[in-house]
Amino acid sequence: MEEIDASGGKVRVRDLRSGHSGWEQYDQLLLATGAVPVCPDVPGADAVEICGVNTLQSGIELRRLLDDGNPRNGVVVGGGYIGLEMAEALVRRGMAVSLVNRSPEVMDTLDEDMGHLVSQALRDFGATLYLGETLIGFEIKGGKISGVVTDKRRLPADIVILGLGVRPHTELAVAAGIPLGEKGAIRVNERMQTGIDGIWAAGDCAESFNLVSHRPIYLALGTVANRQGRVAGINLGGGYATFPGVVGTAITKICEVEVARTGLQEKELRKLGIEWASAVIKSRTKAGYFPGAGEITVKVLAERGSGRLLGGQIVGMEGSAKRIDTLATALYAGFTVEEMINLDLGYAPPFSPVWDPVVTAARKAAKLV
Amino acid sequence: MATERLVVVGGDAAGMSAASQAKRRNPGLDIIVFERGSHTSYSA
Repeated sequence: MEEIDASGGKVRVRDLRSGHSGWEQYDQLLLATGAVPVCPDVPGADAVEICGVNTLQSGIELRRLLDDGNPRNGVVVGGGYIGLEMAEALVRRGMAVSLVNRSPEVMDTLDEDMGHLVSQALRDFGATLYLGETLIGFEIKGGKISGVVTDKRRLPADIVILGLGVRPHTELAVAAGIPLGEKGAIRVNERMQTGIDGIWAAGDCAESFNLVSHRPIYLALGTVANRQGRVAGINLGGGYATFPGVVGTAITKICEVEVARTGLQEKELRKLGIEWASAVIKSRTKAGYFPGAGEITVKVLAERGSGRLLGGQIVGMEGSAKRIDTLATALYAGFTVEEMINLDLGYAPPFSPVWDPVVTAARKAAKLV
Repeated sequence: MATERLVVVGGDAAGMSAASQAKRRNPGLDIIVFERGSHTSYSA
């Protein structure tokens, strides 16, 4: 798409095969233009061997580069979901993998104590981490990448994966005068309508609302995109649906370790001026005596005074991550940690200790608030 | 009255979820989806 003519109710679209461009009339327009990977503004960033992985196509191209070139040294820049999953994948291919991250631990969406567990899991798996380091630039030799330069060292590199996050893809919306909100995402109401009549937005280009902080949030996740798209579609088909917002739930798996988070983390609470108590517990994923029981660490954050649940984080072995859904549901319902103690959760030795680890953490938090 | 036309820009998770919901609710709706890549939503 090349242009939106909001007053004329039409968009200009170019066929990428033929190069031909023409106008298409609409009665209703839905912008689902997604997000684009953040690209560092440093020397050498346009080399072929520097890859973002944000579409199926970019994944296919990266795979081809790996299969054809058989690179030895891989450098991952960024310690979020994409960075960690790619670091694991490259180690599995037998490459020497370095990961550079600006923060003191990987996985910025966790508090540092929980992120530390993930950093350790990645080190144990064989990746070398350079934490608290900033990317300065890329070294190019003979038209090919040869190294990554940070503020502390130079790392040899045959291939570089960028996992620096994404930003909403909204250039055309901006040109059409559609109002933006948090982090430059398109501002929408509960029905996914933008500020211009007849134009809607959903997915990674659109803003969400954080139900815990009661503030707008930009959260580029597939879960949110599917739900926002569904709501927009129902409304566009003549029905009525609303998207109330998100609590910020996300899970992933790095090597054998499952990682989950929901709600607000400590640095967000600090910024919002909310007083909180944190409870961290270690438990097992099954009854302690049951074969295959693995370690699980659960952190629960609750508001001082009211005891309102504010967020939770989980790092542990198989069977850990999806336990975050109990916390996500409790957050959505606005429960206090005291109320969580009485949740009637399932128990049998192959699945859980008799007290679910999430409830054990809530009990500890209830004593601290 | 002419058929109402919905234009969707982007054929991934949000765009395709919306297009399929809208078509289910209102089968008479004329829907066009534009996608610059060669894949539509692959995990929805």
